[in-house]
Amino acid sequence: MATTGRPQLRSISACLAVFLGLLNILNTGNCDEQVPLIMWTSEGVSVPTQSPPTAGHIVGQQQLASYLEKALSVGPRNVVLFLQDKMSIEDFTMYGGAFGNKQDSVFPNLEGALRSSSSPLVLPAVSWPASNAVIGQLQDQLDTSPLYMDPETLSQLRLNASSPALLVFRLPYGFGADLMSAKDILSGNDEMIGQVLSTMKTQSVPYTAIYTALQPPGRLPRGGWRERERERERQRKIKEKAGIYGPVEFKEEDNTCILLWAQGLSVSILRSGRWEEHDLTPLTFGEGVSPKLDGSTCDKSKARLVLNYENILGHRSFKLIFAMSQRHYKVSARRWFTLDAVVLEYDGTHATFNGSRHVYAPAEYSYRCGSVTNFRWPVLIPRTSKDPANQWRVSFADFQIQGFNVTGSDFSYASDCAGFFSPGIWMGLMTSLLMVLVLTYGLHMIMQLHTMDRFDDPKGPAISVPLTE
Amino acid sequence: MLLECMMNGHAILYTGVTVAFWSTILIVGICYTIFDLGFRFDVAWFLTETSPFMWANLGIGLAISLSVVGAAWGIYITGSSIIGGGVKAPRIKTKNLVSIIFCEAVAIYGIIMAIVISNMAESFSGTTPETIGARNYQAGYSMFGAGLTVGFSNLFCGICVGIVGSGAALADAQNASLFVKILIVEIFGSAIGLFGVIVAILQTSKVKMGD
Repeated sequence: MATTGRPQLRSISACLAVFLGLLNILNTGNCDEQVPLIMWTSEGVSVPTQSPPTAGHIVGQQQLASYLEKALSVGPRNVVLFLQDKMSIEDFTMYGGAFGNKQDSVFPNLEGALRSSSSPLVLPAVSWPASNAVIGQLQDQLDTSPLYMDPETLSQLRLNASSPALLVFRLPYGFGADLMSAKDILSGNDEMIGQVLSTMKTQSVPYTAIYTALQPPGRLPRGGWRERERERERQRKIKEKAGIYGPVEFKEEDNTCILLWAQGLSVSILRSGRWEEHDLTPLTFGEGVSPKLDGSTCDKSKARLVLNYENILGHRSFKLIFAMSQRHYKVSARRWFTLDAVVLEYDGTHATFNGSRHVYAPAEYSYRCGSVTNFRWPVLIPRTSKDPANQWRVSFADFQIQGFNVTGSDFSYASDCAGFFSPGIWMGLMTSLLMVLVLTYGLHMIMQLHTMDRFDDPKGPAISVPLTE
Repeated sequence: MLLECMMNGHAILYTGVTVAFWSTILIVGICYTIFDLGFRFDVAWFLTETSPFMWANLGIGLAISLSVVGAAWGIYITGSSIIGGGVKAPRIKTKNLVSIIFCEAVAIYGIIMAIVISNMAESFSGTTPETIGARNYQAGYSMFGAGLTVGFSNLFCGICVGIVGSGAALADAQNASLFVKILIVEIFGSAIGLFGVIVAILQTSKVKMGD
């Protein structure tokens, strides 16, 4: 998108339309869960353009933070933030004149600003919780508190190019109260943007401008409290089920080497007859959570992921170690990797679980299992009967791990622990096959029984059996 | 003509079973190949994950059922001949019952082995291959093998004795002096059933199922 001049916003809107189409086709996420974000610098400021995300990609909180950081580190540190209540990509598609009808566009000021800027950035899909937090992120990065303004108060403000400032302009969107159509509201917002930008121009202070929203518009209420309740429940479940966080990555020299993901990670210890549990999931996974991975190593044949925690179940330092190895196996003539051990290290004690019996996959793939525990359909087994692991219970829910052949920062194909045919299915098939063979044989025998018809004579007299002897 | 051939019940049955069997195997094989899941094909997994109880009980079932098939087949062949020959030569009735008894012995071998094998089946408390243990797997497979051994031996022994007995009955009907000589052939025929029983006993001699 390095074109400059008139077709730029048209191409942006067209691209937005394509993104919308792609999102619908790929159904990567609910269209209503993402919010677009547009960022540009004032005229005359030249900063290097950041590359936009790939088509269909939903920008998460961390990625958004990195975009903002890059922009604010080299660009002007006066930020004008236009926060609409709700925004969706469809607004730009429908009202942005994307179908060759530029004269009907309701965003003339926005388009003009983007055109004159040297480095506009359009993020068509920022995940909703991330966009909600944009004020907080800007606050952190600029180290200043936001000033809520409107165009009149702006003209009274004296801005300084050296000291950072965060000016927030709230734009309305909701067409609940009055019956203004979305087009009129957006047009009004664009006018306010135009006013603000012209005021900023008179101040002649370079600035970075961001246009985004707090939340996606959400579904139109279909009427009824129950519908809304169900909708809320559904959205909550979608978010829960998605488990929207990335895996734990261990990088060795900028290349991701080990990946670990789980929906739930918990350990329990047996103390005085009771199981005391500690849920390690919030300390390991989540947006903005980065567990300490000191002590992790990886090379061609061995990989070791060490998760360091503090104050778990009364132990000051607690480590959860996954030790994996890969090698070539002659009989199957391919490389397999195994999770050799899961070790809990605390206060000098090592509680070791052996996992190589069940946790294995071809070396090119990752291993995924719905439940990896040592007590319920156990997959992890204490190394010896006297090992301290016998007093522990570990439970990993929806567990996926890969220690070798990681390309990029995503898992390879997941070899699932549950196969297509279970042992019961095989036993049933075998027995059924046997029964079918027996049945076939029986039918064959019965069908080759013939009644004696050698002496049948249809034209002769019928047989008479006298009643008396 | 092909349609006429197909109208035959036998042809329908055999083609049906064959097509079902081979198409299952083909489709499963194709699915393994195109999804690149060939690495999941694991015979060792099959042998260790299937329960030893299945194998043991299949052995018991096959022991008795195949023996009975052999005995029944033999008896109906001999029986038809005795009854048919007995119409013209009623004296053969009593003597030729010994052929029926030889066939019946085959079924008795089968049921004795089935009872012996089923007495060896004990419950065990393991659920995973490690906790089940090698001994239980050995027990399961031995019982399956013993059942197959005695079953198939008795099956063919029964058929053999039946056909020879049928010949004996008809020969006896013609000429009474022939019967004793043919009986010797029958005795050799029934010895093979006994071999099967002996080998099955040997197979299950080391079986010890349970914890």
